[in-house]
Amino acid sequence: MRSGIFLAGLFIAALFYPLIFPNLLSIAIYFLLLAGWATSWDILGGWAGQVSLGHAAFVGVGSYALAILAGRYGIAPWWGALAGMALSAALAWVWGLVTFRLRGPYFTLSTIAIAEILRLVAIEEAWLTQGAEGIFIFSLKSPFGFDLFDRQVEYYTALLYLAAVVGLVAWLARGKLGYQMRAVREDENSSQAAGIDPTRIKLIAFMLSGALTALGGAIYGVYLSYLEPHDIFFLPLSVQIALTAIIGGRGTPFGPLAGAFLLVVAAEVFRNAFAEANLLIYGVLIVLVVIFLPRGLIGSWQHRAVRRRYARSARG
Amino acid sequence: MHAALEAEGIVVQFGGLVAVNDITLSLDEGEIFGLIGPNGAGKTTLFNALTGYAPMRRGKVSLFGEDITQLPAFVRARLGIGRTFQIERPFEELTVLENVLIPAFLHRARRSDAERVAWDALEQAGIADRAHQPSADLNLARRRRLELAKALSLKPKVLFLDELMAGLNPPALAEMIGFVRTLTKSGLAVLMVEHIMKAVVELCDHVMVLASGERIAEGSPEQVTNDPKVIEAYLGDSDEPGDR
Repeated sequence: MRSGIFLAGLFIAALFYPLIFPNLLSIAIYFLLLAGWATSWDILGGWAGQVSLGHAAFVGVGSYALAILAGRYGIAPWWGALAGMALSAALAWVWGLVTFRLRGPYFTLSTIAIAEILRLVAIEEAWLTQGAEGIFIFSLKSPFGFDLFDRQVEYYTALLYLAAVVGLVAWLARGKLGYQMRAVREDENSSQAAGIDPTRIKLIAFMLSGALTALGGAIYGVYLSYLEPHDIFFLPLSVQIALTAIIGGRGTPFGPLAGAFLLVVAAEVFRNAFAEANLLIYGVLIVLVVIFLPRGLIGSWQHRAVRRRYARSARG
Repeated sequence: MHAALEAEGIVVQFGGLVAVNDITLSLDEGEIFGLIGPNGAGKTTLFNALTGYAPMRRGKVSLFGEDITQLPAFVRARLGIGRTFQIERPFEELTVLENVLIPAFLHRARRSDAERVAWDALEQAGIADRAHQPSADLNLARRRRLELAKALSLKPKVLFLDELMAGLNPPALAEMIGFVRTLTKSGLAVLMVEHIMKAVVELCDHVMVLASGERIAEGSPEQVTNDPKVIEAYLGDSDEPGDR
């Protein structure tokens, strides 16, 4: 409850951000998108326990779908985004059907492979994607007269996206699907004894995770307005999405948001403060969090809070 | 009128090893059926075959007359087969209540309805006082109760208990026996694998003894514990039924 009020406050503060820091919009947009991707990633990786290192694939499908449909057929970007989401859900479904029989690290490895395959497709199938040359997004239909290339409009779109994804996950976490995902993550056999079909739950989580990541990908595409396979289907992007959620706290509605805040802000501060040493210090920071807060920032806090609350109630 | 659970000619084979050989059993509503035998007799394997966790080579399983032989474990659970695991498997990151909420969601999509079912199950298994404790922090006796509560919140028709009593101290054992006895009053059929003879003698209406995958005796608890073949099977394994 208290965290809900805190987040509502944050959201309202975020509404005023562009007025206060009009020159720091690009980094804010990237932060919002990264937080949204990490939260989407976490549906599969944190809640359902299937670690993906290929979520850049969905970023790519979302952004490319929007770019190709808008560039070639003049289709409005929101329909392009929707198509990207549907395509991503379909991709996740097929990919999950094939790979969810694999347990442990094999699923993770397969996700790296898929993103890599899509990168090669984006390079080779130039008739569709314009190959390694890349594809420009230069004109888009304007909803209600908003110019989608305006940084402020992009900021609010990304903010809305993040709020929607976090809200959805927080809502899911309290209900049937949220608990079924956690059950599958904790123990597949035991979840079957509770009448849960683990493959079905993992597929739902994967499709939802993929589609929401693609939605952020579509916004990212407009923000970059130039897509190039090497930058989009990019393993370090997949790793960063996963890392953001893990540092923040897997399987917590607000953990990935906290992770994105730490990583983006820390990276920016370190770049300014430490010049060349910034990546080293950034790496050390990540290692420290992983060692001392293995459940992530919010995860560790929540873990302790549940125990404190119980201890207090047990004492009467 | 069909029996609650019927198993005919169950064979489970792992490679060349016949773990369960041609076992037939039938279980009525409200009955407690005990499955005993020395270690490695195939009790848990038979259990897993009936609940859908081990592949059967031959045989047929039916629940209230409906053939469930081909159905995966989670479908059997939905149809009314509840089970506990020999090595308890709480969802460790969750509290006790949340653990029990998960099976309760099966028949109730709304959280408030599912919570009501979960609380009932917690009461029945005597662990409602720990509802908000993280399940990873429970001691053995409470983990066992949690296992039972999870199985109960599924609202099962047939309940499989896999060594639920093992390792409990005498007071905890007495309480657990009490919980199980109460369950059958509402018509629940219980199939239990058990080493603790006190629990078997006090609870079971009918007992089957397995050794090396074969049925070697069957009858009331008194009959089987006095059966020379049963005593031999246990002694041959240097494992007396009386002193467990």
